[in-house]
Amino acid sequence: MKTQTDIKLQSLLTVIQAEPLTDEVDASLSGCYISDLLSDVLAHSQPGMLWLTIQTHRNVVSVAATKDIAAVLFTCGRRPETSIVVEAAEEGIVLLTTPLSTYEAAGKLWEAGLRE
Amino acid sequence: MNSAPAIANHAGASDSRKVSVAQILVYELRVRDAMSKELITAAPGDSLRSIQNLMKARKISGVPITGGDKLLGLISIEDIINALSNAYIDEAAEKHMAHNVIALRDHFSLVRAVAEFDRHEFGRFPVLDSNDRLVGVITRGDITNCLMHHLERRAEEAVAHEAALVAERSADEKAKRVVVRVHVKSGDFDSAGRLSQRLRQVLRDRGIDPDARRRAAIVAYEAETNIIIHSIGGDITATVCPEQVTIDAVDRGPGIENIDLAMQEGWSTAGPLARSLGFGAGMGLPNIKKCSDRFEIHSELGPGTQLHSEILLRKAASSS
Repeated sequence: MKTQTDIKLQSLLTVIQAEPLTDEVDASLSGCYISDLLSDVLAHSQPGMLWLTIQTHRNVVSVAATKDIAAVLFTCGRRPETSIVVEAAEEGIVLLTTPLSTYEAAGKLWEAGLRE
Repeated sequence: MNSAPAIANHAGASDSRKVSVAQILVYELRVRDAMSKELITAAPGDSLRSIQNLMKARKISGVPITGGDKLLGLISIEDIINALSNAYIDEAAEKHMAHNVIALRDHFSLVRAVAEFDRHEFGRFPVLDSNDRLVGVITRGDITNCLMHHLERRAEEAVAHEAALVAERSADEKAKRVVVRVHVKSGDFDSAGRLSQRLRQVLRDRGIDPDARRRAAIVAYEAETNIIIHSIGGDITATVCPEQVTIDAVDRGPGIENIDLAMQEGWSTAGPLARSLGFGAGMGLPNIKKCSDRFEIHSELGPGTQLHSEILLRKAASSS
């Protein structure tokens, strides 16, 4: 069920002023989901999505791994602890941070063509 | 004159914190478990010579002197030796017996008994029940035998237990069953996701279709966080069989006041800390229900909550 062609995360990094936290940033995105409530993400996100959140607790990684989320973008300049980045890398999840607010980042992602 | 037997009244047990099986046994076992219940006694009027013969015949070194089932005194081998060297071996026992006999109670622990042997340097103690009736005699040898016997039994039990574990494991293997158990502590947000992580791994290794895998992982994760946020602690068991995953989450309380409310999306009793971490969306139980093929929940205020979920599995199609 793919209504849009997957977008390479790499091509969006400049647009959203993202700084990669994990070494690996190679991911194809099936869409985007925004929520700071973990259960909501578990219920409504889709595999392969980019997840925007201000939560930086290690449960973000657990939730992302549970739903096979491709990448997590921490907005408003938030950064998780290093141990959480290590955990994400082990799970194959890309972590990024941006100084933009969630709203700004979402707008720029939409403009860049990530519209699912 | 107080001729009632004195009860040893002092436990000299040292309070060491290292505990071996033998030490546990020494505390668990009672004097009544180790004592000899076959009573070889003599009457106050019996001659010392007859008691000497009794000792020789039964190979014992002390004889309690009784009237009915009451302990009146004790004749030891030393008393006999003294009687022989001082030529009063034909006199009655009551004239020469020790009156203030120190006895042990049958409910004393063996550690206490050992301490009394060390303290008094007697070869044997008469044993009295709580009604002061003579019910047995105990020696150091009796204690050793009793300990050896019980150690042996414990060892046999340990071997049997090990064998049962092995049998259970091979039954699991035969049924291609993997059981993952985690103990979940209240408020331990940092450990959330342990079960779901292991479960995902098992299901990935088995090539289970990603949708079922995700649903099982969500149930595990939500069940874990529920226990962390809302309960005083509990345990979750996930059993993976070829055709399904069963997840049982059992907490120790306090239970859910209104399950119908808790099953509604958006309703949450999570505290501010949990909410600040992104929990408490009020979607935990609805998520679990949505992801389960079979779902049951029972909760009682006090004893706690039991949640049962089953997720049917099928192998992934050639491409996911």
